[in-house]
Amino acid sequence: MSIVKTKNATFMETMIGEKQGSNSLTMMLLKGRTLIVLILLLIFFSIVTPNFLSANTFLLLAKHVALYGILAIGMTYVIITGGIDLSVGAVVGLAGMVAGGMIQNGITLQVFDVTLYFSIPLVILFTLLVGAVVGLINGITITKFGVAPFIATLGTMYIARGFAMLHSNGATYSNIIGNDALGNVGFTLLGGRVMGIPVGAIILAVIAVAAGILLKRTTFGWHIFSIGGNEKAAKLSGVKVDKVKILVYIFSGVCAAIVGIITASQLEAAHPASGETWEMNAIAAAVLGGTSMMGGIGTIGGTIIGAFVIGVISDGMVMCGVSEFWQMIIKGLVIILAVIVDQFQRNMEAKIALQARNDTKGEE
Amino acid sequence: MKRFKKIVAMVLFVGMMGILFAGCGDDSSKTSGSAASSGQGKEAKVLTGGGSKIIYVITPSHSNPFFKTEADAAAAKAKTLGYEVKMVSHDDDATKQAELFENAISDKAAAIICDNAGADATVAAVQKARDANIPTFLIDREINGNGIAVSQIVANNYQGAKAIAEVFVEKMGETGKYAELLGKESDTNAGVRSSAFHEVIDQYADMKMVAQQTANWEQTEAYQKAETILQSNSDIKGIICGNDTMAIGAVAAIKNAGLKDVAVIGVDGSDEAAAAIREGTMTGTALQQAALIAEMAVEQADKYLKEGKTGLEEKQLVDCIAITSKNVDKLKTFVYKE
Repeated sequence: MSIVKTKNATFMETMIGEKQGSNSLTMMLLKGRTLIVLILLLIFFSIVTPNFLSANTFLLLAKHVALYGILAIGMTYVIITGGIDLSVGAVVGLAGMVAGGMIQNGITLQVFDVTLYFSIPLVILFTLLVGAVVGLINGITITKFGVAPFIATLGTMYIARGFAMLHSNGATYSNIIGNDALGNVGFTLLGGRVMGIPVGAIILAVIAVAAGILLKRTTFGWHIFSIGGNEKAAKLSGVKVDKVKILVYIFSGVCAAIVGIITASQLEAAHPASGETWEMNAIAAAVLGGTSMMGGIGTIGGTIIGAFVIGVISDGMVMCGVSEFWQMIIKGLVIILAVIVDQFQRNMEAKIALQARNDTKGEE
Repeated sequence: MKRFKKIVAMVLFVGMMGILFAGCGDDSSKTSGSAASSGQGKEAKVLTGGGSKIIYVITPSHSNPFFKTEADAAAAKAKTLGYEVKMVSHDDDATKQAELFENAISDKAAAIICDNAGADATVAAVQKARDANIPTFLIDREINGNGIAVSQIVANNYQGAKAIAEVFVEKMGETGKYAELLGKESDTNAGVRSSAFHEVIDQYADMKMVAQQTANWEQTEAYQKAETILQSNSDIKGIICGNDTMAIGAVAAIKNAGLKDVAVIGVDGSDEAAAAIREGTMTGTALQQAALIAEMAVEQADKYLKEGKTGLEEKQLVDCIAITSKNVDKLKTFVYKE
């Protein structure tokens, strides 16, 4: 068996060959780097900002992180299959408008000349369905018509945003508290707290655990990885590639709809422009958490930590009064650095694998 | 050499933290002092602040000089009154604004000064601050609710648009064809300004509006719309615009079409508009006194925290100043000095 040696690989090899002990320590630090950064950031902001270190701040942080954290979970699935979903931010806006419109104005059936109002569970179910439909459209366009994910979801991004605006002609639904007489109160509870814990954060935790188990412990999860790793091989070994991909985009759409519902519920108003550019935060969280844009690699746990890093940076910088322009620069730097370190880790892992193979060969 | 990459990894982390330090260090040097007064105000419905001496100034992005001016003015005023200031931007995203309000609450802010991200979507956030005993003072834009914010201080768009429309009519010689570029239709100010324009102009029977288009407050869009309008109506003698950004776009389109002596008016009082007025390509604008309004809000916040009342109505209108070639030299970055 011949081993291809790149210049880089040779350099890495010597480095690893030298000192195995310190090497595995570096590896460990590298693997946990996002968590380490998160802890460092927490310590840093606690020192710099007097009111940062409190249970309340952390609950708040969890509440803020929940929004793009949930988006990022759907995004992680999509990215692992080698795709991307740019439509999630627009779906957030659309979902909020659908829910808000159903609560404030009901649905008017012109044939019967009646206006129907729905109970909150039905409103939520219908809104999630809207998210699922957008995901379904994404999935079908990508798999059945062969449109690149970037383009397909860019298209649905505009379409979903357009429908969100059309829904009210650009206006905000301001009364989504509901009406007791119509039996549709309670929507705003989703933006509140249960035993002091923000509902959004609880939803994030539930989805994260479920999505994590699905990805790591089920055949479906294994199929998602195999598609991202090598789509042709996956197809040859009997994975229903199209079906899995469509399901993944539906999942991402539903995640976005959930976020839309939570946002509208927190604001007690549905605004058609909400969620603009949130897809970027979701992608950033996934990438920070070690998901590879090439597909095939990623974890939900990593993504959640990534989302918290972004959350700590933005909340922390707000509370220590950093100018918004600096916030942008720092966020950008953090994302790029994360990927650079990620790349470094990949090379190192490849080297270790190579080293191990050389060793066994030597023993033979 | 072999340790190079390990070192790089470490340097990256340290560097990142360093940047954070650089960003944070100077801004939060002052530690927050003790509370203005202790929190027993609930019964009297007087909000005493969260406990610190921090004032949060929440505005749209500072990339727009109008919002930068108002934020800077508020900050400067608050600092002279002995407060620590944190300036943040909500980027016209109501969710982000709600999060910033929550950050302010958790930071025990004494008061919040806010140019809000939506008349309806802001109500819940201001209410949350009120529930946390923190008074909010709104500037530039109102919200759809009374008794939630302590003050709502806005420019009198109606009066300003009327005043500058008078100048427009005079420049047109009370006769001729004109076009209108409207702001974003979902924004109340777009409607208010347009109807004020027409209340003045429509009194003159010889003034005829030949085109009316929305350009969403944007320069490029205004430029393209104005170009199209001028293409089909080359005898246009004036263009009225809902804001200065669109007016600047219209001025560029007029120049491009080789037309001269076309009257163009806007609203806001930006430096770009001032330059165009000085140059003679623009007729006038209505200055919204952003800095003055921001300072008023901070003064009222200070008074309210100390005395438990501002002594003024919740909703306050501040008159605009009509800016023409005669007084344009007194205008700089939204500040008018006699």
